[in-house]
Parts: sequence; structure tokens; C-alpha cells
Amino acid sequence: MGLKIPCPHCGPRVYTEFTFGGELHELESIDPEDDFRRVYLPDNAAGPQVERWFHAYGCRRWLTLRRDTVTNRIDGLV
Amino acid sequence: MGSFDFEGREVPLEQGDSVASALYRAGVRTFTRSVKYHRRRGLYCMTGDCPNCLVNVDGEPGVRACTTEARAGQNVERESGTPSADFDLLAVADRAQRLMPVGFYYKTFIRPRFAWSVAERVIRRTTGLGRLPTDRAPRKVNARYVHSDALIVGGGAAGLAAAAAAAKRGESVVLCDEGRLGEKVAPGRTLQRIRALEAEVRGLAAVTILERHAALGIYEGPLVPLVGDDGLVRVEPGRIVVATGAVETHGVFPGNDLPGVWLGRGAARLAGVHSVRPGTRAVIVIGTSEGVEHLRMLRDAGVGVAAAVVPDGLSDLVPSGIPIVRGGSVVAAEGRKAVRAVVLDTGRGEQRIRCDTLVLSMGFAPRDALIRMGADLPVVGAGECVLPGCTLDEAVESGERAGNGQVTAARETEPVPLGRAAGYLCLCEDVAVGDLEQAWGEGWHSSEILKRYTTATMGPCQGALCGRHLASFVAEKSGGSTPAGVRTTARPPARSVRLEDLAAGVSEVIEKRTALHDRHLELGARLDWSGSWKRPFNYGDLADEYWAVRERVSLMDVGTLGKFLVGGRDAKTLLDRVYPCRIQSLAPGRARYMLALDEAGYVMDDGLVCALEAGRYYVTSTSGGADRMEAWLRNWIDRWDLHVHLVNQTPMLGAINVAGPRVRDLLSRLSDDPFDRDAIPYPGHGEITVAGVRCRAIRVGFVGELSFELHHPRSRSIELWNALLEGGADLGIRPHGLDALEILRLEKGHIYLGQDTLPDDHPTKLGLGWAVAMDKPSFIGRVALERMADIPLERKLVGLSVAGTPPQRGVPLYADGRIVGRITSCAYSGALQRAIGLGWLRAVDGEFPSILSAEETTATVVSLPFYDPEGAKVRA
Repeated sequence: MGLKIPCPHCGPRVYTEFTFGGELHELESIDPEDDFRRVYLPDNAAGPQVERWFHAYGCRRWLTLRRDTVTNRIDGLV
Repeated sequence: MGSFDFEGREVPLEQGDSVASALYRAGVRTFTRSVKYHRRRGLYCMTGDCPNCLVNVDGEPGVRACTTEARAGQNVERESGTPSADFDLLAVADRAQRLMPVGFYYKTFIRPRFAWSVAERVIRRTTGLGRLPTDRAPRKVNARYVHSDALIVGGGAAGLAAAAAAAKRGESVVLCDEGRLGEKVAPGRTLQRIRALEAEVRGLAAVTILERHAALGIYEGPLVPLVGDDGLVRVEPGRIVVATGAVETHGVFPGNDLPGVWLGRGAARLAGVHSVRPGTRAVIVIGTSEGVEHLRMLRDAGVGVAAAVVPDGLSDLVPSGIPIVRGGSVVAAEGRKAVRAVVLDTGRGEQRIRCDTLVLSMGFAPRDALIRMGADLPVVGAGECVLPGCTLDEAVESGERAGNGQVTAARETEPVPLGRAAGYLCLCEDVAVGDLEQAWGEGWHSSEILKRYTTATMGPCQGALCGRHLASFVAEKSGGSTPAGVRTTARPPARSVRLEDLAAGVSEVIEKRTALHDRHLELGARLDWSGSWKRPFNYGDLADEYWAVRERVSLMDVGTLGKFLVGGRDAKTLLDRVYPCRIQSLAPGRARYMLALDEAGYVMDDGLVCALEAGRYYVTSTSGGADRMEAWLRNWIDRWDLHVHLVNQTPMLGAINVAGPRVRDLLSRLSDDPFDRDAIPYPGHGEITVAGVRCRAIRVGFVGELSFELHHPRSRSIELWNALLEGGADLGIRPHGLDALEILRLEKGHIYLGQDTLPDDHPTKLGLGWAVAMDKPSFIGRVALERMADIPLERKLVGLSVAGTPPQRGVPLYADGRIVGRITSCAYSGALQRAIGLGWLRAVDGEFPSILSAEETTATVVSLPFYDPEGAKVRA
């Protein structure tokens, strides 16, 4: 697989330079049940998904992008 | 030019020879025996598309003789045939064809059950395939990465024109070809054009030419792996132009696989490029104007032409003096070892012509596997692989269009006529038209399952020759569908590839070393992997290393620890919100044990937080968790939008832990700065100069003795280490490694994350509830911990006192004959004179058992720590 991630600081780079950070979820929740859903029940979308990537072998910064998990097409940064 | 060895005899080489051309010149006609019926096979395509010339070169099986450059000193052998390819006893299989119809072994060896295990062994041994060498170590192959705007696959006229056009648009271009540019093309107009284009392209700085690099496939991305002599090249282009040309139409009729039957370009290449006559008396079947050129080339090389089979439209082009059969077709080729005659259908009946060579220049099939793989990707075709049989000008023009990003619509190709039942459709797998008929009759009515049942198109050529034929067969049988609509799915690899090339790059490892690596080696240390680091496990005397810490003074290289400087307006806010320990009250000069929890409340890592002056912090993490800790902190800086600067100082700082009851005696000799209990309390830290090296000295308690972790610039590690060793010589100082540390920390009941823990451990399960300040308003994992607080503990980590020889890690713990847990760490404690351990324990009916057995020993649950429970020594 070849997947290029448009790092806003370094330009388009191969995905192997990055660490996948999972899908973006809400920051926090005070309610325990809500928090459980937030942490344990990701959408796991087959399709567009907003997700986090860490440019570990580059600028070492996080970015958030929208990727289609079926086609691997990246639809820009969020 | 030298020679190579071929089955014990010398084969002389000439300039530009491939293995195939050299062997053919030396008189070799049978190159392989076919996989099932052991039929003789000779050179056929000369372009790397058919399976007929696979030989063993220097011990490597399955090498295509026609595309492999001949080199002096090579060792070439044919690999099929018992005892040899020339005289093969197993050729009896050819006579027994009727006993082995397609799919026969699916049906024949079902009962009794053991029949298959016997038959399989026999079948495997008798198939006409090479043997894998088992006595050689695999090569370690490198992988390299290339990025470009455009990748052009194929260095013919169209590909070169595309490369030039793309480069002129300002794109960076990689052009690859499985051979050398132009090497497959016989001298003439086409080759001249290719040489002119090549000269132009070689003058363009934006174009990188990779010769002898075969494209294996097109993957999403797009990603195109190329296999070359120097390993695997992963090209990640913005777009791809496929200009892989066309292969000539494979003729299907009885005897079509006899040595002496040639595809036109193959015969022309042998005659035109290598100056070797394919035979002495040839029949040529011409369907294109290029076929006439083949005819001329063969005639000029001295091949007698017995007949040219030409359609009406082309007969005017045939040179005078050549006997012409107008509008005829091949019925069969005859011969036992090789072609001896050809039977033609002239329209007025059958005509038999004696010859030793049958050349098929009937038409072209696009070499389109890569295009079909890249259906959803930015891939365009150029030249013959979209316009099979096009003129040179058309090829160049379509190449220029492709180079400019324009699409050339693929020309529809005619269905392939299939001859009589005995014609071999698939040369790789010995599948004849009759086999397809039979399988169709059994109900396999689609190209995909017909392919799997008969294995047609599944051999080394991957359907390069026969894929279109299979589709034509299915289209005709099913009626109403077009051959293009029933092609089987194209998948990588498009060209044969070694497993070692597919594994390219996996042997590359990054070995992290501390600044003291060489010193450890000089001191006789046994170094081994610890995560991605190489660390000393011991220096040869484990017991003395252990006692040096407990009774004297010792030092350990802990430069592998994660080390972070955290500053900025929001530094305190960040750490307070991320970590469950109290940060607000941490005064400069003090340190605190830190657990890092994930959002599920599970322990991710641990370390220390040291408060510095001016609102800054110095944070350490475990050696293996450093990268993750950095990413973790940066994630929250980003998500909470905090003003924090984080510097990962792991690689730039060294750290040496100096430990033992006499550590102050040692440091007082090397430092004038105060490091007594008031200056650096436990747990706390301070800056001191030791042997001239400025250090951050952190009082930690991991080994359970008074100890200072000296963090310092990596460049001065050796100097500091040497000064400490020399300064403490009379105190009995010696370094300790990870083996001693394992016992020392176990005596203190300190856990190793990963060894003693599981991925879903919250602090209470580990007995670390004290490290979590639940009265803090918020920290990561807090809500999860609250939720889990209501759930009764079903397992926990406990300290074990073991009577007897310490069992190994992983040994199960029993209570009343039931397994209730397992040991995660166990060792003999010198200080306590008994075996101690840590282990997981499950609750039985809501109670945790306290007397357990593990192998031959009895283990009793005891409170932690084992050694110095009051912590008097670390606080000394």
C-alpha cells in the first residue's frame, strides 16, 4: 500500500513516517457511561473518517485529517 | 567474450547475448519439460512472457533465459526432466493424457484417505518445475524508496516519448524497463527511433532511468514495486504511464508447443539482435505488416522460407520469390522432438509443408496487466499496450499524449480464434482447449472458476499469453459477453519475483546505543536487546554486581530512559491534566513518581516528574515508552491547544544511576556541591557538578538503596563514567546490568511495565492506587477509574514468597488444584536468602487465595516491598 499524508509542516509524506492515532473522538466527558462510549465504542466507519496522525519521523506534530477508510483517499486536513 | 558452463560443457558467449541466445547458438533446442505432460518446450517469445525458457542460473531456479544477460562464468542448468530435459522418462505422461484429465487429482485420490498423501508426494516430485535450493542462506535484500511526479513503465518508443513529454512539463519522472532500453528490438527503423528518443531522454535531468527493473504491480497509493538486481525499489509516483507494449498473439493448434514454433518478434530478435538463425526452413504466418518485416529479417539471416501465410491485404508487401499461401491458417504443427512439418488450411483443402520452424506473426495482444490493476488509480496507457499493432508514429504520439496526462482510448482487440482440442492454450500449466471444453462441460461456467479449476493462466506467465484466450473461450461459450468483459482479475505480480525480494528491507533494524556502548564492551559486558536498545545484561559476575549495590556502591547506564523538558505558560496545566499524580503542589527541587494512564484508565507507562525553577518540568519515562510518551504529551498539547514547549532530550542526555550505601562517599570525592538530605531530599533532585560534568542528580529508589541518577550531556558520558569507576575503585565499585537490576527492583516490589503488567491494568490492580490523586478534579483516565472503582477486583498483582528454587516467569499458580494465576517475575534474593516473586492472582469466589503452589514450590502471598519495607535506605 502506498498512502501519502499531507503534513502541513513537511508536505506530502509516506504514511510509514507517521504513527496512527485512531479516530478523533470527543475530548472528555464527565458522565461515566458517556465516557465509556467515547473511549470504547469508536464509530469504526467504512467510509470517511476523521482521524489523528503523529508525524513521528518528521516534524513530530499531530495532525487531523479526513480519510476514506475504504478507498484510502484523503480529503484534506481538518 | 568468454563462456559459461552449461550442464558440464562450455558455451561460448558473444556480445549482447542472453542466456537463451547463447544456448540456442550452441544447439540447445529443448529448454524445459512442461509441468504436467513433460512435453518438450523450446524458445518461443524471447520477451519474458512465456514459461518455456525457465532455467537454473547459478543455483537459482526459475530464471528466464531470454531476459537474463549471459555472463562469463555462469553456471546454467535445465531444471526439469528425469534424468534430463533432453531425455525425460516422465514424458510417458504425455501418452497417458487421457488418464489425467483436468482436475483428475481432485477426483481420483479421495478414497482411501491416505491416497492423497502418497499421490501428492509423487506428483510434487514429477512436476516439471525447478527445485528450490535449501542449502543457501537467503540474501538480505534492501528496499529503497523513490518519489516522483510520474512513473513510466516501459522504455520503448511510447514510454520514452511519454517520459520526455512529462519532463518538459516540469515533472520529475522515473522511467523503468525490465530489460535494457531497446535490447529486445531488432535493428531497423523502430530501434533507430528508440535510440533517438533515448538520447533525448538521457539528456533530461528530470528523468531517472531504471533499466533492468521490472514492475511487479500497481498497488493503491499508487505504489509500484520494481525488482532490480540491487533489490526492491518502491516507487510512489503521482501518476503512472503504462507503456509495456504488446505480446504477439499466441497460436493455439495441435503441436503449437513444439520446439521450433516461434512468436514472430522472438524469431526476429534471435536473428536480428543475436545473429542466430532460428532454423533453416520456415513457414511464416503473417497477420500484420510487422510480420512482413519479420519475414525479411529471417530471410536476410539466411533462413529459407518455405511459405508465407498472408492475408490478401498484405500479400503485396511480401518480397518476390517467397511462396505465398493466401488467406490460409495453421491446422497443426507436426513433429515429435521439434517441428518437422506444418499443416495449413488453404481454403481449398489442407496442405502439408515440411519445415523446421514455424513463425507466428499473427497479431498483438496488449501487455495490459498493469493497466487493469490500476483501474481506480491515476494510470494511463501508451503505445502498444493500448493500441496493439499501432505504427511507430502512433506509439510515439500516444506516448506524448500520456506524458501530458491525456488518455488514449484502448483499441478493442478481436476475440482470439481457438483451434482444435489438442492445442495448448496455457503453456505454463499444460492446459489444452479440450481441457477447457471438459471443464465447461462439468459446469464451470465462468472465467474465474474455470481458471481455478483448470489452473489455466495461473502459471509463471500469469496469463500473459493465454489470459485473452481464456476470456475468448468463455465469451464464445456463454454467448452475449465480450472477451474484455470476462477477463479474470489482474493481480500482482505481473513479473516473477523472488521471495527474498518481496522480503526486502525486513532485515533492517535500528539498534539504539547509549554513549557508553563501547565502554560496556571493554568491561566485558554481555549486551543484548532491550526494546530497540542494546543494553548490558551483566558484566560477568551477577552476584558481585548485586552485592555492590546492596553493600558498597555501583553504577548503571540508564541513558535509555525517556527524558523530556516541559516548559511554556501551560506546562503545569498540561502535566496536571495528563498525569494522575499531584503536580500543583510539587515544589521546585522535588520529584514525584508518575503513572501515565490512558483514557481507559489503564497504566500506559511510568516515570518521574521533577519540578524545575520558572514553571518548567523535567519528566522521565521508561526506556521503551519514550516515543509513546512524547507522542502522548504532544497529542494533549495539540488537542487542548496549550502553550507548552516539549523537548525530547532522550537522545541528547546520558544518565548514570549511582547507587549503594557508600554513594555519598564516592560523590564527595568528585563534587564540591552539596547533595546531602537537605540539599537533595528524597524524592527530589538538584544540579551538581560531578568530576567536572554538570549533572541533574535525581534521587530515585528503583533499586532500593540510596541512589542518584546523574543526567548529563551525552557527549560527556564516558568521562563521567570513567571518573566514577576510578573514584570508587577502593570502595569496591562495579557496574551492574539488567540481570542484577531484575533482582534489585523485585526485592523492592517495583513492577516492570510490560513484564509484570497486562494491557488492561488500572492502578489498583497493580497495587499502585497510592500514585493516583482521585481528589484532583480531572486527569486522563479519571472518569474511567471512577467507573471501575465500583467493580470488584477480579485479579491483582501480588508479592510472593517462594519456598524452594524460583520457578520461571509464566509458571501457573495453583490453589486447591485450580489455576488461579501465574508468576510474572521470580528470582532468588541474596539479601533475603529466599526466592521472591510477583504474580497475577484471580479471585476465587470473591476471595484471593494466599497459599499457592507453583511447580514444586509453595508460594505465599506477602505484602510488598520485600526489602527495606520502611524505605529507610532510599531515604538515607
